[in-house]
Amino acid sequence: MAATPSKKTAASTTKTSSGSPANPLAAKPGSTGIDPRGPRFGAVITFVLLGIDVILGLTGPSVEAGTSWAVRVTDPAFILLLVITLIFAWGTFAGIQRHPYGVLFRTLIRPRLSAPTELEDPVPPTFAQLIGFVVTSVGVVLALLGVPYGLVVAAAFAFVAAFLNGVFGYCLGCQIYVLLVRAGILGRTRA
Amino acid sequence: MDALTASLALGGLVVLAAASGFLIRAREGRAKILTNAVRVTPEQLGLRRGDLPFGSTATFVQFSTEYCAKCPATRVLLAETARAHPGVRHVDIDVTQRPDIAQRFTLKQTPTTLVLDEAGMIAARIGGAPRPDALARALDIARRRDHGSYTI
Repeated sequence: MAATPSKKTAASTTKTSSGSPANPLAAKPGSTGIDPRGPRFGAVITFVLLGIDVILGLTGPSVEAGTSWAVRVTDPAFILLLVITLIFAWGTFAGIQRHPYGVLFRTLIRPRLSAPTELEDPVPPTFAQLIGFVVTSVGVVLALLGVPYGLVVAAAFAFVAAFLNGVFGYCLGCQIYVLLVRAGILGRTRA
Repeated sequence: MDALTASLALGGLVVLAAASGFLIRAREGRAKILTNAVRVTPEQLGLRRGDLPFGSTATFVQFSTEYCAKCPATRVLLAETARAHPGVRHVDIDVTQRPDIAQRFTLKQTPTTLVLDEAGMIAARIGGAPRPDALARALDIARRRDHGSYTI
């Protein structure tokens, strides 16, 4: 019942409680469910890196106005944020299943844990990667333009989101998605 | 800026993020008992009247979206609770393609669950994945029509 892919169904899909108790936590047909601890592990690495980037940004040249191009692109805070942005891009466009932190989780962490009690649909955490990619990209662009504190503010926003995800298991990107749907920006056209 | 001030700024960010996390955790899944009379019709949910989607004693209306991490688990909880109580039905509305429905019910997050009584009046509203005890309480209030939405 709940395994119905909502993209292919009518405008407003309804599922009632009648019918056989299938496992609704299983991923949609055609995709593989993921261990929900994988994205949280990745979020922990991400917020640690973003925290380091906030420190580098505040102590580096990105908070000053009128810096030269050469100073901006060699700023360690800029380079680290660029790397974080590229990793978000990887997670967004290759899918969360091919995320480098996911590979790390599967090879190093998961063999030491018990089997997951449930599997998660990979689509929401992939969307969260997109939100991370957008926010950090803004920071990269502002840093390139030499806007003081632009890099730090973007990294700080991404830090809070990754912290909430890693520590509390709260998906901020998923809530942003609902607000965008409500505003009619997303979800109106069928994919 | 020196390293100490920068570290303090990061510490402040951690405190802010942790405080938000605890606040969200404390608020999520709790039932808000509604006291103003609001009636929900199947048409407002994009359903046809002929479908008879509402239960004879109470109905759980779950709003979901496509990119929603906690919606599947909520679906399981609501469906199982509905199965355990005769006359209670669970309806899951995917609002991904329906911004009008999301706007009408001022959805701020998914899942959001409305607990309706037999007349379709909203007894309680639960934002986020419902806590089982909050759901049981909301269901009890809806079944006893003890929510102040109207007087008999």
